[in-house]
Amino acid sequence: MTAPLVLYLLLAALVAGTLGLAASIYAVARAFGRARAEPGKDVPATAATVSRDPVWSRYHARYYGFALLFLAFDMEMAFMYPWAVVFKHEGLVALLDMGVFLAILFLGLLYGWSQGALQRQ
Amino acid sequence: MSVLAPILALLLLAWCVAVLDAWMTTGRFRPLAPLTATLALVAGESLVPRKPDRLFFETAPILLLLAAVLAAAALPIAPHLVITDLATSALFVNAALAYVLVALLMAGWGPDGAYAMIGGWRFLGQTIAYSMLIVMPITAVAMRAQSLLTTDIVRSQAGLWNVLYQPLGFALFFVAAMAVSFLPPFDLPTASGELAGGVEAEYTGARRAIFRLGRTILIVSLATATTVFYLGGWLGPWLPPWLWSALKTLAVAAAMLAAGHAVPRLREAHLLAWAWKAGIPLAMLNIFLVGVLLLVIP
Amino acid sequence: MLARDLHAVTVPGPDVFSALGLDPGAVGVTYAATPRHAQVLVLAGPLPPELREAAAVAYAQMPRPRVILALGTQEFSPLPDPDVTGPASHDGLAQGLRRVRELLSRHAFSPEARAFEPAVLATRTEYTCPMHPEVVQDEPGTCPKCGMELVAREASGSSDETHHHTISHKDASAHDDHAQHEHRDDHGGHAENRTAEGATSYTCPMHPEIVQDEPGRCPECGMFLVPADSDEGAGSDTGHAPSHAHHQADSHPHDHDPDAGEVHEHGAGMDFMSMVEVTKDLPRGRDGLPMDRIDVPFGPLFPGLPGGLLLTLTLAGDVVARASARTLTGPRSALPEPGMPAARFIEHLASLDPLTPTAYRLLARRALEAASGSTPSAHQQRARLAAAERERAASHLGGLAQLARQVGLPWLERRATRFQLTLIHGDHDALALLARQSVALRTRLERTPLLAARLMHVGALSPADGLRGPVARAAGMTTDARTHDPAYAELGFEPVLHQGGDALTRLHVRLEEITRSLRLAEAAGTLTMPADFDTHAAIGDAIGDAIGDAIGDGQAVVETPRGEACLQVYLDGGLVTRARLDTPSAGHLTLLPELLTDLELGDALVAAGSLDISPWEASVS
Repeated sequence: MTAPLVLYLLLAALVAGTLGLAASIYAVARAFGRARAEPGKDVPATAATVSRDPVWSRYHARYYGFALLFLAFDMEMAFMYPWAVVFKHEGLVALLDMGVFLAILFLGLLYGWSQGALQRQ
Repeated sequence: MSVLAPILALLLLAWCVAVLDAWMTTGRFRPLAPLTATLALVAGESLVPRKPDRLFFETAPILLLLAAVLAAAALPIAPHLVITDLATSALFVNAALAYVLVALLMAGWGPDGAYAMIGGWRFLGQTIAYSMLIVMPITAVAMRAQSLLTTDIVRSQAGLWNVLYQPLGFALFFVAAMAVSFLPPFDLPTASGELAGGVEAEYTGARRAIFRLGRTILIVSLATATTVFYLGGWLGPWLPPWLWSALKTLAVAAAMLAAGHAVPRLREAHLLAWAWKAGIPLAMLNIFLVGVLLLVIP
Repeated sequence: MLARDLHAVTVPGPDVFSALGLDPGAVGVTYAATPRHAQVLVLAGPLPPELREAAAVAYAQMPRPRVILALGTQEFSPLPDPDVTGPASHDGLAQGLRRVRELLSRHAFSPEARAFEPAVLATRTEYTCPMHPEVVQDEPGTCPKCGMELVAREASGSSDETHHHTISHKDASAHDDHAQHEHRDDHGGHAENRTAEGATSYTCPMHPEIVQDEPGRCPECGMFLVPADSDEGAGSDTGHAPSHAHHQADSHPHDHDPDAGEVHEHGAGMDFMSMVEVTKDLPRGRDGLPMDRIDVPFGPLFPGLPGGLLLTLTLAGDVVARASARTLTGPRSALPEPGMPAARFIEHLASLDPLTPTAYRLLARRALEAASGSTPSAHQQRARLAAAERERAASHLGGLAQLARQVGLPWLERRATRFQLTLIHGDHDALALLARQSVALRTRLERTPLLAARLMHVGALSPADGLRGPVARAAGMTTDARTHDPAYAELGFEPVLHQGGDALTRLHVRLEEITRSLRLAEAAGTLTMPADFDTHAAIGDAIGDAIGDAIGDGQAVVETPRGEACLQVYLDGGLVTRARLDTPSAGHLTLLPELLTDLELGDALVAAGSLDISPWEASVS
């Protein structure tokens, strides 16, 4: 395992390389010629009907109950990663501590379930 | 040199998965299919919808590709064939996969088209369902390896592969991996019968080539992740380690591509309900079981 | 040559293609999900004008290189002339596609190709005043009424508004530029829309209580007065109140719900509107949250729906708030000109619905025989029964393939299409096997996990007058025209009845009917090819001889695969003078708007598909 800085530089180089690959594919496509502008060609395709209405609107995402619970669980997972690494070393204490934490969250999940958060609104 | 080899291996695996995918959907085995398809796409027109959110529209395919490549970067093919062996690789993989959501949301919002937008928002719902089911099994795997290094995770399976040690975690991770890469039956964002192509629909030409490349590499990354976390990575007798990795990855990818054909597309409401009411309790049970096993077995 | 998979946009659609016996899958072509992913546009059979326009739109949205392949189509406008033509048969398709591949690899980018600019897609830029939408000019300038700068907007060149469900009042709220609103300098265009019929009183958009008889300025806020709504008519499918553009501090653009009530009071200042005020009059969903709605067409060439059916769904999130359905298969009439000779009448009726020509041939023949008083022999009746049952099985298999496309079961789509094509092309030996294979298919479908969960309780219909055919029998109504037919009674026919009336029950009914139809066809003994139905000696004598110079009227009822169809004809000297046709799909089409309300999008599409509407039948007037 080499020094972390070198690794992150390597990742940055990988990102740059991927961007370069994408750019080169775009360049090749451009070399073949640009798209010819024709009427109606650029209207988003809706099954052979022309629909020029904009659709950027307040979309009613009906899973917001799930999303809120997800936030709570995601915070929990942030704690669980380091816990997992030292778990075996710490032994039973670690299991019990995290068990309590998970149990509390699980109770929260059950509560949300009973209150109807876990359904399509 | 040891950095180029995994990159080439990744591309080669992506090629194989693309051929496999084409074979499964059309029944024709064409080894040159990825090349001809890409050439055809690049040589065709690349259309841009009118009045798009240009930033989002352009960024989405590239971001999808980046997310997939970064996820693959932390996964090893052989003991010293990994692009970046980060100390927090297991977490890094998850972080990279999170950008798939961002990419698809951008792809949905960008073109200002109805089908794409609905597809994008539906994928957000799908992600909320499956994020936890990716993270929790990884935690359980890290518990056994006592480290987040993917090479350590593979080495910890020298005695028994995780698929047998934590089968529940494997099942959940496999299903969640299919959902992240929006393979059928989780293909809500790009369904043909429901959204006429959805998120992918407004991409043509070179951008579509990048989108498809990104998706294929995403499938490869997830298959590699499954192999590394649950199927013992490069471990195995007789054959060289990289060959074991490649075979296992291809097998998992084939299973992912085939599994969806038997089941109809799941409605978003069902996905979410099953993931949160059944999936997460099971994942927590998995962590608890693994914890107990680790303490009991020396 | 680089052989590759081609993606094709098919007009009218996979259902008609299978009914005609064309199998693109066998020649390396897949049905494209969207025109953007397609390289070839395939037309099959004669196409009604509206469907041709839809094909033109699809063609315009295909990226180049693109090729048109026409099989058995004669008229093409507004499409350009096809690059490859052929007969509407599977061989024609195969050869045509070979030529298409050659064209694609050779002439992909001929620089002298003309741009495709059909009238249906023409747009012109108009300039309109945000306060006075009736003021429209072709060049930029200022509004003669209030002096404001005119704003550019796109208008379709076609005069027929019904083609585009672009609702005019949405344009009037000037969402052309999504990032800014051109008239933001002027507070907030409450662009009212009306059909500009001599309105006589003027009111302030902000203060509706101020009403004057002549234009001027509002005494309270100083805005120019606008004519009060004399007529609330607006866009093509909603006739109601003005939509309004909201300008919020963050100026994020969104679409407005046409259901919104009147212009609402704003009370304090114009520069900031709280979200509560902004959303005050929007309709709320079940959970009480007001959200925007968008109108989305699930248009004539949508992969999961019958080709030619245009469903316009107003979506709130991904739940259908309102639905409207219409067919684009053109006006079709049972008797285009009075005084048609009988043989031509039968052919005409068969061409009315390319999905079930045999059933309509049978219907026409029976009606003519009833009018002339001739009766077919028992042998002929059995032959007709066999042909009709074969077509019924083929039609239900086509419906299965469409369901498979909707819910994403590729194996079911392939198998159902293969069975259907075997039925259409095949011979006696293949058919004997099919009855057994249909049972195997049914078992496999019942074992498919999660399919029942997907279809249960979706699109439930209780017994009502408008229901016919498998839809009615799935709801528990015992309506089947075949029970009154002695030829069927001889073979021990019994209609398939189930209770439940949802999409799952309809699926079960259709599966059971496939098996029973195949068994009936086998039991009838003589199997004839639907193609030469009418000239086959087993069916009956040449119709001209059978009816001679009869004068009279007759009525016949036939159970088509989609339900009971009834035809009344009046004969005069062997010529048909009047005819009236009543089809099952016409009634089912009217059920759609109510059926689809409040369903999730995927469920709505499955429900619409489960009614098995044939747009061709439904557009018969």
